[in-house]
Amino acid sequence: MTRLAGKVLCVDDEPGIVRSLQWLLQKQFEVLTATSGAEALELVKQHDFDVVISDQRMPTMTGVEVLREVRKLSPRTMRILLTGYSDMQAIVRSVNESEVFRFINKPWNIAELPKVVAQAITIAKTQPVEAPAPEISEDAPIIANGERILVIDDDPEMGRAVSDLVGASAKVSFTRNLADAVGILNSEQVSVIVSETRVGTIDATRLVRLMKSKHPEIVTVMLTAESDADTITTLINQGQIYRFVPKPIRTGYLKLVLQSALRKHSALASDPALTFRHTVEATSAGAMESLISDVQLAAPQAETAAAAKSGGFMASLGAGFRRIFGAG
Amino acid sequence: MQFRLVRYFTLASLGMFALVALSLFYFERQQGDFFRQTGDDQRTFFGEVQQSFAKQQEESARRDLLTIHEAGNVNLTRLFANALWEKDFAPFVAQAQTIDAKACHAMADVTDDKGKKAASPEKKACFAEIGKRIAALPDFKSIDAKVFASMKKSTVFKIKVFDLRGITVYSSEHAQMGEDKSTNAGWRSAAFDGVPKSELTHRGKFSAFEGVVENRDLISSYLPVLEPGTSRIVGVFEVYSDVTPFLKQIQQTSEQIRATAAGNQAKLEAAAIENQAAVDATSYRQFATIGLLLVLLFAALLAIVRRAEKIILQQEADRAHAHQQLAQSEKMASLGQMVAGVAHQLNTPLAFSQNNILMVKDALQSMELPMKVAGKLSTILEDVEGDKVTIKVSQLKANLDKLQEGNVDVTMLQEMLKDVLGGIDQMSELVVNLRDFTRLDRAATTNADLNKSLHTVAYIAQTVIPKNIELVEDYGDLPDVECNPSQLNQVFLNLINNAAQAIDGPGRIRIRSVAEGDQVRVEVQDNGRGIPDDVLPHIFDLYYTTKPAGEGTGLGLAIARNIVTEHGGDITVSTRIGVGTTFTVTLPVRQQPPLAKAA
Ligand SMILES: Nc1ncnc2c1ncn2[C@@H]1O[C@H](COP(=O)(O)OP(=O)(O)OP(=O)(O)O)[C@@H](O)[C@H]1O
Ligand SMILES: [Mg+2]
Repeated sequence: MTRLAGKVLCVDDEPGIVRSLQWLLQKQFEVLTATSGAEALELVKQHDFDVVISDQRMPTMTGVEVLREVRKLSPRTMRILLTGYSDMQAIVRSVNESEVFRFINKPWNIAELPKVVAQAITIAKTQPVEAPAPEISEDAPIIANGERILVIDDDPEMGRAVSDLVGASAKVSFTRNLADAVGILNSEQVSVIVSETRVGTIDATRLVRLMKSKHPEIVTVMLTAESDADTITTLINQGQIYRFVPKPIRTGYLKLVLQSALRKHSALASDPALTFRHTVEATSAGAMESLISDVQLAAPQAETAAAAKSGGFMASLGAGFRRIFGAG
Repeated sequence: MQFRLVRYFTLASLGMFALVALSLFYFERQQGDFFRQTGDDQRTFFGEVQQSFAKQQEESARRDLLTIHEAGNVNLTRLFANALWEKDFAPFVAQAQTIDAKACHAMADVTDDKGKKAASPEKKACFAEIGKRIAALPDFKSIDAKVFASMKKSTVFKIKVFDLRGITVYSSEHAQMGEDKSTNAGWRSAAFDGVPKSELTHRGKFSAFEGVVENRDLISSYLPVLEPGTSRIVGVFEVYSDVTPFLKQIQQTSEQIRATAAGNQAKLEAAAIENQAAVDATSYRQFATIGLLLVLLFAALLAIVRRAEKIILQQEADRAHAHQQLAQSEKMASLGQMVAGVAHQLNTPLAFSQNNILMVKDALQSMELPMKVAGKLSTILEDVEGDKVTIKVSQLKANLDKLQEGNVDVTMLQEMLKDVLGGIDQMSELVVNLRDFTRLDRAATTNADLNKSLHTVAYIAQTVIPKNIELVEDYGDLPDVECNPSQLNQVFLNLINNAAQAIDGPGRIRIRSVAEGDQVRVEVQDNGRGIPDDVLPHIFDLYYTTKPAGEGTGLGLAIARNIVTEHGGDITVSTRIGVGTTFTVTLPVRQQPPLAKAA
């Protein structure tokens, strides 16, 4: 029997679910089950789990809460959230509080789930753990050493807000269109991307996902007024976004997020091995091409496009994409 | 009862207008009557004034005529006396005086049927006898001739002479000689007081100097005869003079005046009539104008009111329509919420059933080879005689891995399938509850078991509300309630959803039912945050919500109350901040007939 030395905990208030997860995973892994958050946390204290899979909707303690506690008790344990349908709030919290590795939808794919768990176990076993981030307070000044923050948003107010917050400690580039963003990413070393999910008419999440798959050391913060759970689930699984900031933005909260994003980046930069913990799902093959064509379509309306010589600009844009994402 | 704007307005305003018109008509009439009355009075007065003026004029003319003639007669008498008395009449009267009349005077008078004393026929005859004796006196003939001669062709028609006894000693009408005038007022005035007395009379027939005349106006004057040179009365003349032409003239003048007055009166009358007609015409015109204005006013008001009523009706219809749409959209929203909850609820048994079935299928597939081997082995064994078989294992050894893989734990597979059956049970329970909740396949109004409805709603609600909220069901014995269960389900779901939304973190919602006489009471009690005093009065208002936009429409309680009132029931609330809220729905067991139809 090919049994990987991995310990998995499955948590769901519905016994049918935990039993079937156990049956599915026990061939490969050592599986323990719990039918409540309290029971799960008790087990986490006693055992050293590589992965915890938790259902979101449970009485007394939600999945996000369970995973948040797991992260505190055992930082090396990878966290997977199982959801039937979930509200926006739960997803945002799962990102910001629990830093989940994956979302798994019910019903799950019985061929895929063991693979995801296996990947998580590998990461948990082989990759170092980040030192737990110290608690940061809202009034502490932002610590940075001249990193570059790229802000992509339709609203110029956003760029100004970020500039005001970081002051002279970091460089801030603001743009309202993706073509410019590609240009900046191409010419500068960007540490943190703060982006709206939708810029103009283009879905900007594809850029973030592509960026992350090639440059896992860049920390991404998504701003969103959107409430489509699917978009956000995809973003987590394929973009490993670091934080979600729901609009309208609260300045204090944005400051906290920037603070920890900068810290995260310096951790990732100092120890590239850490980035494995943020491995993303493979994006679909045509994603880059469709993004390039969308950006090119929108480019003539963009500010720089007006100044640039059109033919040359398009060519350089395509080349820029390819250079950043290392495709072709 | 509906308020019929146009009808009420028409009745009220027509009544009012009729009243106004009537009072206007009445005052107009009053005024007209007053006008006519004063006009009539004025005319009568004017007529009377003219009449009296004409009469006075005639009277004074007559008086003047009398005075003038009396004066004329006095002069005539003087003349006559101067001419005839001394020589002719004085001796004649002296002679006549000798004839004794005492016997005749002594004769008694009689009282005629009018109560007036008059001489009896015998007495008259007695005096007539005396007259004859006077006429028989020798001087009579010459005197008579002289009188006739001097009076002919004059206006004097008759002359009489009386002695101081009152005996007619001479009369140009001989038949009257001897008559007694001693009781005559005119004679007495002339004879005793020396004052002439005149009188205007009309005679149908009169014997004058010229013969008998007819239809004459005469002035008769009693005139004292004074002894020439003295002022001693020696006799009395009576002179009749004819004033018929004068009188005619006076009468003509008077007639003229009267005619003029009548003319004036007629003119006045005509003017008055004309005036009256003008006044009447003006008043009719006025009346017609006001009437027309009133009609116009009425028409304008009617148009406005009709338009207003139309708008009101339209608004009413719009509101009803909007309300219906709202109810519909709320139903859709709660339906959507419910569907999402149910989908999630279905997802769990679906997920593990699918997982288990797929695993069982894989296991069965991997069992295929061992089963085949076992089958083959059994056929080989069947054909073998004796009790020893030789199998070449070299071939089998190559497939040993596969055989081991198929060596699955059958009890585990059975348990997997048992879980699948459990999952199917869960799913069918959900489907049954869903069907009971929507009741699309049932009659709208029926006699329903409310406890069953409540349980269904609780089951459905459980799928939607957070799992850390406990639903406690506590049902008493209830009679069947005549109601529209699908609508009541909506009410209960709204109440339970509200309760769940009022709870932060873990909590408990208690659903209770109690029968009370011919009513049932359903309570939904939560231990949530309660309702603040400034919110409480508004919670049943349409669109009132304290939840952020997108989360609450503010329709839940408004619709719940609507449905409960339509059922003839009541919905009340009691709340304590930080402790919780209880909504109580009271419903009659039987519907009132009209409500049963509306529900
Ligand atoms: N059980 C409760 N506890 C506390 N507050 C309540 C409760 N039920 C209702 N309310 C208050 O009454 C308000 C009106 O309720 P209602 O159900 O009519 O609308 P809603 O719940 O806000 O919106 P919707 O039902 O359309 O989603 C709510 O916004 C809430 O403030
Ligand atoms: Mg409500």
